Amino acid sequence: MPKTVIDAHTISKVYNPDTIPVYAVNNVHLHLEEGEFTALVGPSGSGKTTVLNMIGGLDKPTEGNIYINEVDITKLSQSELINFRLHNIGFVFQSFNLIPVLKAKENAEFIMLLQGVKKKEREARLQQLFKEIGLEDKMDVRPAQLSGGQQQRVAVARALATRPRFILADEPTANLDSVAASKLLDLMEKLNREEYMTFLFSTHDQRVIDRARRVITLVDGRIASDTAAVSTEFPHG
Amino acid sequence: MIFLLAWRNSWRNKARSIVIMLSVAIGIFAGMGVLALYKGMMKSRIRTVIDSEVGHLQIQHPEFKNDYHPSYVLPDGNLLLTRVRSLPEVKIAAPRSIVQGMLVTTTSSAGVQINGVVPELEYATSQLKQKIQTGEGFHPEKKNEILIGKKLADKMKLKPGSKLVLTFSDTTDNLVSAAFRVAGIYQSGNAPLDEFNVYLTMQALNELLLTGDSFHQISILLKNDEMLTKAGAQLQQLNPSLLVESWKELSPETDLMVNTVDQYSYIIMLIILIALAFGILNTMLMSVLERTREIGMMVALGTSKSKIFLLVFTETIFLTIAGTPIGLMLSWLVILYFQKHGLDLSGMGEEMLASFGFGTMIYPSFPGEKLFPILMMVIGTAVFSCLLPVIKALRLNPVEALKR
Repeated sequence: MPKTVIDAHTISKVYNPDTIPVYAVNNVHLHLEEGEFTALVGPSGSGKTTVLNMIGGLDKPTEGNIYINEVDITKLSQSELINFRLHNIGFVFQSFNLIPVLKAKENAEFIMLLQGVKKKEREARLQQLFKEIGLEDKMDVRPAQLSGGQQQRVAVARALATRPRFILADEPTANLDSVAASKLLDLMEKLNREEYMTFLFSTHDQRVIDRARRVITLVDGRIASDTAAVSTEFPHG
Repeated sequence: MIFLLAWRNSWRNKARSIVIMLSVAIGIFAGMGVLALYKGMMKSRIRTVIDSEVGHLQIQHPEFKNDYHPSYVLPDGNLLLTRVRSLPEVKIAAPRSIVQGMLVTTTSSAGVQINGVVPELEYATSQLKQKIQTGEGFHPEKKNEILIGKKLADKMKLKPGSKLVLTFSDTTDNLVSAAFRVAGIYQSGNAPLDEFNVYLTMQALNELLLTGDSFHQISILLKNDEMLTKAGAQLQQLNPSLLVESWKELSPETDLMVNTVDQYSYIIMLIILIALAFGILNTMLMSVLERTREIGMMVALGTSKSKIFLLVFTETIFLTIAGTPIGLMLSWLVILYFQKHGLDLSGMGEEMLASFGFGTMIYPSFPGEKLFPILMMVIGTAVFSCLLPVIKALRLNPVEALKR
């Protein structure tokens, strides 16, 4: 039976709650199981990135709880959240956000070092990851010498390096041409299919939406539609 | 990896980093230069105090310094002098008879300290012979000769061959006056002492004081400066009732000056480093603000605050420390040159320097003993400089930072 990875229970994000409240996210239920390949879509300002940030523990909801692998991350302190992100969540950002002074492999290795992974294990993992993303020959190259698509694949390798429970990708194809975007999606699909890795994307990109097996549409901070049957049972609620 | 990242970050903006490193290098160079100059001046002053003013150690009657009464001679002085000379640490020991009195010429008068010396011994102990600028010095066959300092000679308008009268009390408290002829005018580099001290032969003075072959003081030069404490203790053992004093007690103003200048050196270094700290702080702040997004991403991925602190701190340390060896090496080379060839400060005013007891030629000395405290101060500067950038980095909200 598939395991619940993300369980966001009636989460809201309200700005100016004491004056004129503005709901960036309003009463959203989100339930993701292991192995899902889900796209969070909607127009600009619909709350996609805010939902992603809250699920990723980068932002706290004003109301509601978020359970990741049965841990309520809304109850964690800042330092506990940092440690939680390090061990549970992989991030892929729109503008790659690789560290420019580190080589491609060092960008992925950096996160493993933070986890305290031993050298031998790191080296083996790096070889495997760069083989998977098809950049074995670019391991010692600095990000500036890579194309946008290659940089985003390194970012995926970095996200995978920590062996996270799921990957949050914020507009991962927004800065890529169609060939690079297609290659990146192929890679993500392969990881999802072969390693059962759970993906949650926020995206405008029809190419991503077309590949997603589940599409959740947000409008004005609320879920307007969900192509899958969303569970309404909240084991922790 | 944090260290590797910090090192590479330090070189992201090469021009900016090099400017900061050079600033640190120049700051260290300037600071070390000032410290070396001070050390050279103090060494020179101490050397002058020991070699030409008071010697390493002096022995005298414990009451003598209270009122300089001529009756306070050293008991069994000649025997004591023989025993002092037999100590292995002692290079030379010279007896002195001392009295305070008036020097009178036809036009003016001045209070002076009259030192009765054995010329050959005094020449070796206080280098009196080398200090004579005009005149011949003591003639072995002439009796009533006197050496006076240049400052006193200028004040009293005296020159070699001039006559003067000395008046003082003898051991029976009777006033004694005698006429002397100037045999030489000396200049020691310490104008106040030159104005106050005059020299006669001990034989001439003792005849007037009625002290026979006794004397008031033994001035001692040791074979090296490190023997001071040991030799002092040994001399005290020879006769515990006598007063044995080192140059530090005999010239407390010099000891105070050395200690004060030592503290000033650190204050000067601190001022230089504080000025540098603001430059480093500015550079690090720019560096952190330019990398807001990157640091935000690192926090988002799970980099702890302690690691972010370590990163910014290490970058600051690299920037600060990298310039330090350059500054030290440069200062060492320049100091080495001037240590050999000397630094002529006559442009600052010979008389002004002499009034403080300094010569015009200074030989700076590399302050190696201050290296560790200075390195600690440099690290302290780095810590101070990184505080604001670190606070900025730690306060970054990853969501806000990633939007930039």
